[in-house]
Amino acid sequence: MNLIKIFLSAFLIDNIVLMKFLALCPFVGMSTDVNKSIGMGLAVTFVTVLATSVTYPLYYLVLVPFNLKFLQILVFILVIASLVQLVEFFLKKNVPGLYASMGIYLTLITTNCAILGVTFNNISYKFNFIEAIVYATGTALGFMLALVLMAGIRERLRSSPVPKFLQGTPIIFAATSLLAVAFMGFANLIK
Amino acid sequence: MNSLWNTFKKGLIIENPLLMLMIGLCSSVAVTTAVANGIGMGLAMTFVLVCAELVISIFRKLIPNDARIPIFIIVIAAFTTIVDLVMQAYFPELSKAMGVFIPLIVVNCIIMGRVEAFASKEKPLTAVVDALGMGLGYTWVLIGISTFREILGNGTFLDKQLFPDSFEPILFFTLPPGGFMVFALFIALNLWLKKITGRTAGNAIVSEKL
Amino acid sequence: MKKTIIRLATALTLFSAFACVALALVNFITEPAINANNAIKLKESQSQIFPEAEDFKLIENGITSSDSTVSIENAWHAVKGDASLGIIIKAKGKSYGGDAVLLIGVGTDRRITGVRVLSLNDTPGLGANATKPTYFVDRSSRTTFPGQFVGKSINDPFTVKEDVIPITASTITSKALTNIIKISAQAGSAWLEAHTAGGN
Repeated sequence: MNLIKIFLSAFLIDNIVLMKFLALCPFVGMSTDVNKSIGMGLAVTFVTVLATSVTYPLYYLVLVPFNLKFLQILVFILVIASLVQLVEFFLKKNVPGLYASMGIYLTLITTNCAILGVTFNNISYKFNFIEAIVYATGTALGFMLALVLMAGIRERLRSSPVPKFLQGTPIIFAATSLLAVAFMGFANLIK
Repeated sequence: MNSLWNTFKKGLIIENPLLMLMIGLCSSVAVTTAVANGIGMGLAMTFVLVCAELVISIFRKLIPNDARIPIFIIVIAAFTTIVDLVMQAYFPELSKAMGVFIPLIVVNCIIMGRVEAFASKEKPLTAVVDALGMGLGYTWVLIGISTFREILGNGTFLDKQLFPDSFEPILFFTLPPGGFMVFALFIALNLWLKKITGRTAGNAIVSEKL
Repeated sequence: MKKTIIRLATALTLFSAFACVALALVNFITEPAINANNAIKLKESQSQIFPEAEDFKLIENGITSSDSTVSIENAWHAVKGDASLGIIIKAKGKSYGGDAVLLIGVGTDRRITGVRVLSLNDTPGLGANATKPTYFVDRSSRTTFPGQFVGKSINDPFTVKEDVIPITASTITSKALTNIIKISAQAGSAWLEAHTAGGN
């Protein structure tokens, strides 16, 4: 029950992009069409879960016992960066087809603050390992959802008349704002 | 001298990292519910940016090209941790208000972008000037957005109440959607600013090239 | 080939070693200050809740929460000379955005003397308003959300939207915090009655 709560709240109520303002750069950059959004979303989901399952034990089994908590930022970002490299390398060698379609997203992922944010939140929310994995999955899927929705909205925007002073990027953020209003409606989903 | 000034001022409007380059966006919407947060975040960011650009620029010839990205990450992460620890120690309230966004400076694309595109190629002095310009460009936008949101959304400025009690603050502006809306307006504003200043500044750039 | 690898490895090792040393140094300087901050903040909040108290004696055990979602982390007995003034409970419970930690003071008259929110991860502008000294649930009397509990009897119903004014659009936070306050106040009051019955 608790796990479902964590999942729903990470996926919808506290949507990482619309409510927690993380990963706005890829959100604006990659939501130009639906296929791109799905590709990016899947890549992020994979890396987020992988990063969580590495950084979480690392924090509790190495950093805490050796009193090295102050290295948390340094260690976590290096782990994520190397994981992305490894995954890229692995895909390139073994699954070239997948690499061709997902490779470009992988390189962008290192500086995706959602992933680092999730690994930090896992610690500061004091989750146990299972909860952390569920939270990571929910958050990353929430990212994908926001991206896909936005891609749909942007497709519509292209054929709509937009007031002159909002043309270009401003209208994207105005639309994001309205999307965030809609997501606030999820707030009372769980009690 | 003139070129230093140009390096500095391009971060303010023409290449403003938030409004024009559209990078480092997260913190600008997240922490701008109060002016104090906006100032704190702006200064923290500027500090990391200046230090990272300075160190990378000094050691630029010693950094092997193939290992540059991990080295950049290490340097940026180190300075971010320093800011995080110092804020926790001496500005605990501010540090709490910004939560995860201080550690997240490490993945702020502004820093990585400037280090990669600028500091790794330029002399230390130019790099620092560039960092100051970019940092200030980031900070003014944060202060602008947070002033707007705090006054309208909470009826206060730097936690001082501005209006009589009968004024009901417009809650929308402190909520997430309000943040996005104000940000949209600021981009529109900056596009307009660029249009007016661009006429003079743009001419200057053109004449320089000639 | 081999040479470049060695060069890369040396550069990386040097930079990370340097970073680690620098961080250890900064950590060494800031760590006492960070720990002191928490202690100072606790002391300050305690004296605000019981301004007259001369000492806050740590209570080792004997206080139990009647609700599985609220855990009592610490408790202090506020005393002035030999007289018991009340008890302060540090309690932790789930709120909207994770754990919330509160300090709750109860006097010997079974009334709440003060509430402080020590940590809360709820939405800025919504639930997080519980921690803001400038956010008033009742603007005419300038009462903050935790402030409204001062003087409240532990026998009150503690029902949000009835005798507790919620934070606008943050019913979940309001309910969660109210519950933590209610459970801790009752537990604290029970301890006071059991341990100071002879004295007063």
